[in-house]
Amino acid sequence: MTITDILLNQLLNGIVLGSFYALVALGYTMVFGVVKLLNFAHGELYMVGGFAGFLVLSFVAPFTDAGWVGVAVSMVLAMIAVGFLGVVIERVAYAPMLSAPRLSILITALAVSLVLQNGMLTLTKGQYVPFGAALGFGGLRLGNLFVSYNQMVLVGVAASLMLALELFVSRTQYGRAMRAVAVDKDMSRLMGINVNAVIAITFFIGSALAAAAGTMAGAYYGSLWYFMGFLIGLKAFTAAVIGGIGSIPGAMLGGLILGLLESFGTQLPGVGSEWKDVFSFSVLILVLVFKPTGLLGKPEQERM
Amino acid sequence: MAPFPERPSAWGGLGTILDTPAKRRTAIAAILAAMVVAPFVFGPYGTVILTNALLYVLLALGLNIVVGYAGLLDLGFAAFFAVGAYTVGITTLHFGLNFWLALPLAILLAIIAGIVIGAPTLRLRSDYLAIVTLGFGEIVRIAARNLRETGGASGLIGIDSPWLFGWHISTPLDFYYVFCVLAILGIIASARLANSRLGRAWLYVRHDEDAAEAMGINRVKVKLAAYIVGAIYGSIGGAFFAANLGAISPESFSFRQSVLILMAVILGGMGKIPGVILGAFIVILAPELLRDAGDMRLLIFAVGLLLIMLFRPSGIWPARSKQR
Amino acid sequence: MRSVMKTAAGLALAFTLALPAVAQETLTIGIMVPTTGSEATYGQDMVNAANLAIEEINAAGGVLGKQLASTVGDDGCDAQMAVNAASKLAASGVVGVVGGYCSGATIPTLKIYGDANIPLVIPAANSTKLIPENPGNAFMINSTGNDQVAKAIEYFNGKGVKSIAIVNQGDAYSQDLADLTKKEWEAAGNTVTNFETTNKGEQDYSAVVTSITSANPDAVFWTAYYADGGLLIRQLRERGYQGIIAVGDGSNSPELFKIAGPAAEGVIAFSNPTAEFLPEAKAFADAYQAKFGAAPGPYSTLSYDAMKLLAWALDTAGSTDPAKVIETLQGANFTETISGPISFTLEKTLARSNFVVLEGKGGAWTLAQ
Repeated sequence: MTITDILLNQLLNGIVLGSFYALVALGYTMVFGVVKLLNFAHGELYMVGGFAGFLVLSFVAPFTDAGWVGVAVSMVLAMIAVGFLGVVIERVAYAPMLSAPRLSILITALAVSLVLQNGMLTLTKGQYVPFGAALGFGGLRLGNLFVSYNQMVLVGVAASLMLALELFVSRTQYGRAMRAVAVDKDMSRLMGINVNAVIAITFFIGSALAAAAGTMAGAYYGSLWYFMGFLIGLKAFTAAVIGGIGSIPGAMLGGLILGLLESFGTQLPGVGSEWKDVFSFSVLILVLVFKPTGLLGKPEQERM
Repeated sequence: MAPFPERPSAWGGLGTILDTPAKRRTAIAAILAAMVVAPFVFGPYGTVILTNALLYVLLALGLNIVVGYAGLLDLGFAAFFAVGAYTVGITTLHFGLNFWLALPLAILLAIIAGIVIGAPTLRLRSDYLAIVTLGFGEIVRIAARNLRETGGASGLIGIDSPWLFGWHISTPLDFYYVFCVLAILGIIASARLANSRLGRAWLYVRHDEDAAEAMGINRVKVKLAAYIVGAIYGSIGGAFFAANLGAISPESFSFRQSVLILMAVILGGMGKIPGVILGAFIVILAPELLRDAGDMRLLIFAVGLLLIMLFRPSGIWPARSKQR
Repeated sequence: MRSVMKTAAGLALAFTLALPAVAQETLTIGIMVPTTGSEATYGQDMVNAANLAIEEINAAGGVLGKQLASTVGDDGCDAQMAVNAASKLAASGVVGVVGGYCSGATIPTLKIYGDANIPLVIPAANSTKLIPENPGNAFMINSTGNDQVAKAIEYFNGKGVKSIAIVNQGDAYSQDLADLTKKEWEAAGNTVTNFETTNKGEQDYSAVVTSITSANPDAVFWTAYYADGGLLIRQLRERGYQGIIAVGDGSNSPELFKIAGPAAEGVIAFSNPTAEFLPEAKAFADAYQAKFGAAPGPYSTLSYDAMKLLAWALDTAGSTDPAKVIETLQGANFTETISGPISFTLEKTLARSNFVVLEGKGGAWTLAQ
């Protein structure tokens, strides 16, 4: 392989990884935008989404197959189920806390994440669960660069979901309401916006996107684990902040950048896989030192 | 502009109950007596986890200064804990330094680390500061994992326990009393700080940064001071932690550790010393008491945590005091 | 204030109640492994296997005329939590402990078991760093890293391998194994093309895979556990890596084939002789599968053997007197195992390595040599 081939390969790796980060980061950033909460349980929704997809797939596989149709059906159903789970979590655990000190909600979110993680640990007895999708390894070879159909579909689906979200937020009435609530909750209420409904929709969409990522990860990588949400939750949080937390295009950009930093960092002599996380965290800190609200975030006053 | 905040007591209303010196003296004497006899009541296992709880009291008090007093969200507090532990580990093992010489070095390095990471980032909004501190915590952990000087993933083994005026601090009981003393010193320092000029500056900055700035308070300097004091607490905790266990490895300084300390601070009632102490005891004792629940224990702990937060959103320790 | 007092009193009461009652009619053996946190998968495999052994021992009449019981101390693979777990086990009157999965978490517990004079059989943790910390009551029945590296290098040499990539997971066990392999391999004049460290639970290894395939070593050696290893193997093969893929004993689980699928065909493992192909182990694997609905994990057989060994030592010593049990263990030549005979060196490590080379064929491990 020539240097160009290696770099092209790492570019592809970074884009695929970045798509996952971006999908999960979107949920982080949307929830933050509307209720100013760092939802630390968000990574666990990715995990639950993976398991929900697995459950659906094992039901539908006999009727369709475990191929594209089956995975697509399980992804959609998992998105709906986890979307509702997100709304329930918001209603039960966050809604009563919205007037409490912000750090208290943070702890509530951490508690929710522990509940989901350890609940799944108990359910699965700690075992790794093979996802059971049969998508094949086919793909296109362009010189030394091999792009599998799975990767194309995955990036395509992630991009479409993000595009749909962007259109939803910028073009629809609900989207407008969402943006209004993000700016000023009380004023929105006075203007006749049903703030609770907007918050519910936000949680639904954010959770559904995480579930989409979880199901795709299960199908693409092949196995599920009760702890799989932890690391990606951390990474998605990082991605959301690089992009500017609260900004939807920022989350997409941040996810992509983080994915690329990690894949190129792994290849970089002197960094390598051993130090790649130090590399990306250092870049993050530098970004924030020079651009204190992230790449696309807006400056904002705040009160603790 | 918000009105100037009433000075909340760091004792969180305890002062209104123990309102005479006599009552206070009785309470203090009772608590001290309880601390002295506790190991004999609860046995060796009880002593070990009480020691652990006292370590968390110290760490949580340190983080409370950053989060509770100055209002800075720190998700990487374990980094300072690690700096303390590894400094003692490396200097005593590789350079044969005496523990009591390694300790000030550990504190010094933690202060430097606090300045290096704090100075450029403390003007950030708290959510961004949260990720910076988280990133810093992870950088420290990964560096400890990768470097040969820190023993890699296996960490450092065979750290000697210290001598103090001919007393070899070596048994779990010895360390229990050492941590008792550390926790008491931590509490006193924490209470003094809350009532100091700096403490009032923290309160003002937390309440309204811009107004504080207008009043002539240098907010970055004040925040940095909180960060440094927190780092000192963390590094002292880490140094004694290393001496107590005799072995340290990167796993002890993970994000999970930072989160657990933060939980202790907020659960009990951020900013209030008795609340922080209570929080530290809960996060350590609850999972231990639930051991019989087997692999469900953390699930039960998490549900309990959730319920506590839902019913007492500002923490367990009652907020009733002069400030309302 | 009153409510706070009540809480405190309640806590103190619960604390007292939690102090365990000393077992009367049964002999209790402690099992110290992680059953929560990221290592719970492996810990639960070990608890299952140890309890299976106890069931069989009890069915055969127990030990010293008494039935055996177990109590689990969750160490969470964390030094502090392990110290708590060990203190609790030590205070609860166990006659012996089977435990130690994470080397890092096991080390600080050695002193506690030593001070309490409790015989400890360590089934999994095998870092060479445990040896000098052993106060004399702990016995390691897993071969140490050195044995494994020797076997791996012997195998690579036999296959004419000149360059390898080593991938570990940044934990004490896999990093030790990786470091030792690198040192020995380079000392023999060979090349290490890549020395990679991944994070546990990282699902995407594509960047590491690209880095490896671009250097194209003759073999890739994964030194950590099966779950992440399965993913790495899959991604290596999907990206067209043609060379040898070898894994350490932490990856010796039939579950590897479920995760990696057809990509695991031909994968080499260095491990204790366990699993389906040994007649003695076959019965164990079947019983395990029937009872727990999953295949045994990489350290299940060793945990099972550790429990059998400890029971044998108690019976042979004729009492629960720790000194006698420890003496019996030291002189053991115990053959009723499924992972090979156990006897100990003066350092209380396994006297002879029983590492074998396994090969993945048709979705199961078979003996390669």
